[in-house]
Amino acid sequence: MKILENNFNKQNFRCVCALLFSMVFFSRADAAEFPASTADGYAIPQPGKQFSFPRDHGSHPDFAIEWWYITGHLFATNDAQFGFQATFFRRALMPPGATNSSASTAFGNDQIYLAHVALVDKTTGKFIYQEKLNRAGWDAASATNTLDVRNGNWSLRLAPEKIGGRERFELHGTVGLDAAFVLNLSPKKPMVIFGTNGVSRKAADVNAASHYLTYPRLATDGTLTLAGKKLAVTGEAWMDHEFSSSQLGAGQVGWDWLSVQLFDGRELMAYRMRRTDGATDPFSTVAWVDAQSVVRQIGPDKFDWKMLEHWHSAKSNSDYPSLVELTAENPVTGKKEHFIVRPFAADQELVGQAGGVGYWEGACHVWDESQKEIGRAYLELTGYSESLKGKL
Amino acid sequence: MVASNNTVLRILWSRFAWRHWRLSPVSSLLLLMILAVGVAAFFSIRLANRAAVASFQNFTDLITSQSDGLLAAPVGDLSENILPELRQLLGDEPVNLVPVLESTAVPPRREENEALLSRPTFQLLGLDLPALVNLGSQQDNGKGWFGSAGSTNDSEKGFSPVLRNQLSVFISDTLAKRDQLKIGSPLSLIINEHPVTLRVVGIIPNDPKQPAAPANLLIMDLPALQQLTDKAGRLDRVELVLEESPRRAERWAAMKKKLEAANPPNAPRWLVSSPADRRESASMMTQAFRLNLTLLSMLALLVGLYLVFQGLDGAVVRRRNEIAVLRSLGVTSRQIQTAWLVEAAAIGLVGCLLGLGLGWLGAQAAVKMVGKTVNALYYANSVDSAAFNFGEAAVALILAVIASTLAGWRPAQIAANTPPAQVASRAGTTNYPGGKLLSSASLGLALIVVGIVLTWLPPLRLAGGARLPVAAYVTALCWIFGAGIFAGNTLAGIGKFFHALKINSLTLRLAGSHLRAPSGRHRLAVAGLVCAVGMTAGMAILVGSFDKTMRGWIDRTFQADLYISSDGAQTASSSSRISPATWKAVVANPALKEANVIQFLEIKLGDTTTLLVGNHLAFFRDYAKPAWLSTPLNDDIFNPNRNAKLALVSEAFAERFRVQRGDEIKIPTPDGFRAVTIAGIFSDYGNERGSLLIESQQFKNWFSDELAASLILALKPGYDPETLRAEIRTAHPGLGVFTSSYLRGEALRIFRQTFAVTYALELIGIIVAVIGLAFTMASLLWERRTDLNTLRALGLRRNELATAAALEGALTATAGLLLGIAVSFALGWLLIYRINKQTFGWTLQTDWPWLQLSALSLLVLASASSAGWFVGRWAAQLPAEREE
Repeated sequence: MKILENNFNKQNFRCVCALLFSMVFFSRADAAEFPASTADGYAIPQPGKQFSFPRDHGSHPDFAIEWWYITGHLFATNDAQFGFQATFFRRALMPPGATNSSASTAFGNDQIYLAHVALVDKTTGKFIYQEKLNRAGWDAASATNTLDVRNGNWSLRLAPEKIGGRERFELHGTVGLDAAFVLNLSPKKPMVIFGTNGVSRKAADVNAASHYLTYPRLATDGTLTLAGKKLAVTGEAWMDHEFSSSQLGAGQVGWDWLSVQLFDGRELMAYRMRRTDGATDPFSTVAWVDAQSVVRQIGPDKFDWKMLEHWHSAKSNSDYPSLVELTAENPVTGKKEHFIVRPFAADQELVGQAGGVGYWEGACHVWDESQKEIGRAYLELTGYSESLKGKL
Repeated sequence: MVASNNTVLRILWSRFAWRHWRLSPVSSLLLLMILAVGVAAFFSIRLANRAAVASFQNFTDLITSQSDGLLAAPVGDLSENILPELRQLLGDEPVNLVPVLESTAVPPRREENEALLSRPTFQLLGLDLPALVNLGSQQDNGKGWFGSAGSTNDSEKGFSPVLRNQLSVFISDTLAKRDQLKIGSPLSLIINEHPVTLRVVGIIPNDPKQPAAPANLLIMDLPALQQLTDKAGRLDRVELVLEESPRRAERWAAMKKKLEAANPPNAPRWLVSSPADRRESASMMTQAFRLNLTLLSMLALLVGLYLVFQGLDGAVVRRRNEIAVLRSLGVTSRQIQTAWLVEAAAIGLVGCLLGLGLGWLGAQAAVKMVGKTVNALYYANSVDSAAFNFGEAAVALILAVIASTLAGWRPAQIAANTPPAQVASRAGTTNYPGGKLLSSASLGLALIVVGIVLTWLPPLRLAGGARLPVAAYVTALCWIFGAGIFAGNTLAGIGKFFHALKINSLTLRLAGSHLRAPSGRHRLAVAGLVCAVGMTAGMAILVGSFDKTMRGWIDRTFQADLYISSDGAQTASSSSRISPATWKAVVANPALKEANVIQFLEIKLGDTTTLLVGNHLAFFRDYAKPAWLSTPLNDDIFNPNRNAKLALVSEAFAERFRVQRGDEIKIPTPDGFRAVTIAGIFSDYGNERGSLLIESQQFKNWFSDELAASLILALKPGYDPETLRAEIRTAHPGLGVFTSSYLRGEALRIFRQTFAVTYALELIGIIVAVIGLAFTMASLLWERRTDLNTLRALGLRRNELATAAALEGALTATAGLLLGIAVSFALGWLLIYRINKQTFGWTLQTDWPWLQLSALSLLVLASASSAGWFVGRWAAQLPAEREE
């Protein structure tokens, strides 16, 4: 345990170094470029923001959009394998300081919370999911001083006590009456902050930017209950926390996002902002996270995102890429690496009845060019059923 | 060759029965229609009842599909703070908690003097709108709720205009089409005492598995409705909805256990029930009302069966020749009897089928009446049509076929037992075998005595406090049948009396001669008349007594000057209240001598629901002038300083809970039970569930509730109620302000309106009895056709024969009337002192509506004479040998 603690402290230190390095040497985010707020009064991410934890794990109601996003891979004692997703969205319905006629705290009208929980059985390909939508109030809320977000009976909390010097998060999720999980998530590596100088840009428009905080690898254990049968599970998860006031710029319709956990201890985060003509927006990126949580980002000139196959969803009448090949230049070696990403199940679509935003989010295998499995991934495909512009 | 039994029956059916029906289509149709009317009355009332009860389905069922459980406060409403507590208590349990607030509203008056109850009542449902999409049943409707809301394509932003604008309302497609409302249309309503103009923001999405939302259902965002109804932070109930799963029931049982375990037994904070329990309790609330209606409708069926009996009997008479021929040809009496029974059953079947169609049509009219009554007395409902129900149809069909077969039993027996020789001799009138039973005066008297004994029996007590006066209903039947049987004997008396008059008119003597030794058929006709007249006149006595009592009560009760309620409060089920700010402003008026602020709550004592009324009791004594059944022994109950532990109860309450002066009642309050002692019992006709009156101050202390249901004002001398009324209406246009004279008139008008149906029943009773008499006359004259031919040959004219028949009919009707009116007095007494008292707990003052009874007698006599005259004319031209 002591060794683990030492390692973790070293990793934290490296992370801070890496951050400083990127802030000083690769800064494209100039504070002067970024106005403090959007035209309707929401905050815009500012370069050089000094994050403070656990406060910044919590909610940032000055921003219009915020989400806490956990995806992962679970292994049960009976050899069954699952992929899971739990997402908690917050969307402001009125800018901070706006006159609010509602005096009700139980039924607020300033924030709305959307959440998704999905589970895929990797063996059978059976995918189940559920959405929840609640206004801020008695059944949905997010604390502003720590991570404590809940929506109905689902919740994600930062446990008050650390284990072995590491934070611990508790995730409670259910899908209908017959699937439930309670998971403990503990970082195996320090948190990383994507983007430049603390700002992850998505488009030329400075409004389309976020603060993007990620735990790229969390040790996961807990229980998964399926149709009354309780299974002990372990695995690894990925957790994003992103807040912004707009995620898309002019001419963009959505994005393809990928998180890869390689068996060699590295991770990869990639997003390809898609334009209306299907082209990759210049503000797309691939971020390499090395074993020490040092992040190195490359632009679209240094990676290639190919869609090799498609799957048609009859539910939403959309065509989603179902086999993706990402070729990206490793910024350390300068060599190109290939990642072939194939979903465990074709249908991992969340249609979006409640929130109105349909997307595909699924657990995937990751192979190299020699068809050797080199890791696991979660792939997210948005804007295929309809443009997200104006929604996020 | 010996024909098989089935072949014989087939031949009998086609050549014997069917041919007769075909040859005399008018009388066949008449008989069928009579049975059809009986079935229709029964079926339409059953369908209307069913629809009124079904209309109680939680309005939320339309949205939640069906909740697994309901959580409500033991008394009053719930605080919304209970919601996070419940979520925490249920932990990870995947259950949707659906908070609900319900209210009622009505459109503003179109003109100042619009009659009460003339405006439609809307049911307002306050729901947490964004959370609705979490319900399995609404997943596909997610965009339905907010796709149309607001003006943006952005579905999330679509929430904002709805949630921000507190006047946003969703309406049903039915209302949108009916009133041509569109998104953005204004909808003006009175909610509590507030005139508000809501804005239509969407159409309630239809769940294909649920019935369409009714026109009177409006859905609003819950906090907005809380504000509009002055109920900030309050909820009526929380519904718990689980996802669909094979393990749903099991999971709900576990959750229910958790909820119950967390509820302190001494001072329970909530009650957990199921939607079925709620429906059951609503159904129990109206149980007595519905049972009474059903029994009334069964009486219509019973009268119809009398006629089937008479009709079939008439057919036996007309076909006696053929029966004799058939018997001579070797058809056995059993085969003939079977053929008759099949014929009777067929009449039942066809008549019933006709009745089902008529009944379904009738139900559409009856359902509005029943729905209106249920709405006015029990709970809000939106019933405006009654669906055809195969179960009810099957019950009516079985009942009609069995009853008509039973009614055919005796005629079938007569047909089968008719000796061929008797018919061949054409002996004219025959002894009517049923006459033996009907001429047994002792049997009639015995039945009457049995009925008297039964009046001492108490009512059957049903769950939920409802009482059913079964013994009294049996008494009614005993008396109707007993008097009917006994009535035949009076017929002979009338005949003899008529003979003794020695009137010098052949026609008149001819008429009287038939009654001196009345046939069984005469007796049956009289029995039918006794039944119809007795029931009709009995009903008239009940209604007259009710009317008299209500007039007295209304005059006594409305002694104050002005009566104020929300202009949206039209019925007992209305949840419209007056906010404290408004009523405090009203009662501060310097013109007032005294004011009474009335508050009330529905409470449960045991399993039985009743009303707890907060009231200034001295004002009640002075201005409602209660008639005491148990007078308070001293004035403590009227002194606010000494009446903290005292209460007054209404007669209905005392009957329902079987309590008397001096008994203690434990009233549930949010802080546990509070005991009060009954200081007096007063008569009250306002509601059948009973009222428990306590001093206003106690009510406020116990329930921390300041919303008023109504205000009663007494003015200082010299102030004009009309002027103050206008002043209050101008200052508070959402208040309904009525002077006592107006309210008295309206109360009587509404009361009389609800009794309108009884007049229709009375009319049906008379028509049926007169048709029955016509049938009997036709049968009698058919039997006497040889005599009639002889009389015509002797020189009697057709009109003279018709006059004789008219007189015979009138005299028969007189016998029926004499006994019928006597029965009606007995039935009137029974209805007032037993059936009404046992069902509703109301003591009525007896009134004998002489004018109405005289009119009824004249109507019966005139109809019977006319029927006799027409039948006589018809019979006078019958050839002796001709088939009908």
